[in-house]
Amino acid sequence: MRTLVFIPAWNEEAALPGVIADVRKAIPEADLLVVDDGSTDATAERAREAGALVASLPFNQGLGAALQTGYLYALRNGYDACAHLDADGQHPPEEVARLLAEVTADRADLVIGSRYHAGAVAASGDYRPTFSRRIGTSVFRFFLTLATRQRFTDTTSGMRAANRRVMALFSQHYSPDFAEIESLQLAVRQGLRVEELPVRMLERAGGSSFLTPLRSAFFIFKGLVVLLVGQFRPRHVETE
Amino acid sequence: MTVLVFAAEAGQVHLTSQTRIVAAVLALVFMLMILELIRRDRLQERYSVIWFVAGLGMLAGAAFPGLLEVVASLMGVRNTNVALFSIVLLLLLGLALNFSVIMSRQAAQITRLAQERAIEKALAEKRAGANGNGSSAEETLEPKKERLES
Repeated sequence: MRTLVFIPAWNEEAALPGVIADVRKAIPEADLLVVDDGSTDATAERAREAGALVASLPFNQGLGAALQTGYLYALRNGYDACAHLDADGQHPPEEVARLLAEVTADRADLVIGSRYHAGAVAASGDYRPTFSRRIGTSVFRFFLTLATRQRFTDTTSGMRAANRRVMALFSQHYSPDFAEIESLQLAVRQGLRVEELPVRMLERAGGSSFLTPLRSAFFIFKGLVVLLVGQFRPRHVETE
Repeated sequence: MTVLVFAAEAGQVHLTSQTRIVAAVLALVFMLMILELIRRDRLQERYSVIWFVAGLGMLAGAAFPGLLEVVASLMGVRNTNVALFSIVLLLLLGLALNFSVIMSRQAAQITRLAQERAIEKALAEKRAGANGNGSSAEETLEPKKERLES
């Protein structure tokens, strides 16, 4: 069973080395790939120094394209399972290991780490969403649940584990603009088993959130369009 | 320009032969420009068809001014000026949309190209690293097998 953990990173030189070290400690059996999304700082160098393999996109392509690079790499190189987590230190690698265990036990094709799931326990220093993020989250949660007829609590979580069926699908179809939500809808529509697992998340170690209220509103609007269009995409596209 | 020439005159039903000649010359010059752009590799043939059709349309309008009135009456528009502007506007709108579609396709292609290059470079780096210090060599030698899977 070969496992790949990949980390999409865009200008995360501060937090990334710590994240890499934590992942190595928590999931020693996995190969590690950092997808450097056209960073202008020393992200790639820091990642190499920390011992990770680095795939550098020549220019910033957005989170979706970076994640797709990871899925494509995992598929091409014959990994049985892969997982990804954010580079800013919000995602404890021990939790990623739990997601991977679900996939390797073949209980699900795609496992999402949810910070809002009922089972997720809050402790001090843990993740506290801002007001605008809470609104966006509940809107997406409602519409995605409506669209997929499956309950999702954390639609924008960047902590996921997947098997080869998902790699094959996502390496072909992954929206660069609205990756998180559309990919969930797509996976469910393709008949894949998507599961949410309650996880702990931490406050970000470096960088700041890109969400301002206006951006959030635009983000939500874009998401709804994506979901609506996604409902009319063909089902069961040949993926492998 | 040609369009403006048409528009100014079309309402009067009869274009003077002078305006018709000017319009026809403009249309011809326009088409020659397209040809020259293709010749200099500044415009690809597959994107030139639409512009040729536009040039032919101008030429047809200059040669047969009655055509416009036929089209206008088909549209149910009494004023030929309005008909002309509506048609041109719709065509330009369609063209702009066509460009957005092409742009989206090319953006997707560029993304895939960037991804392929990033992956290839990472693999080359991994191979070089494995050759350099000899550690985990057998792990890095096997990956190529499943390349054609997707």
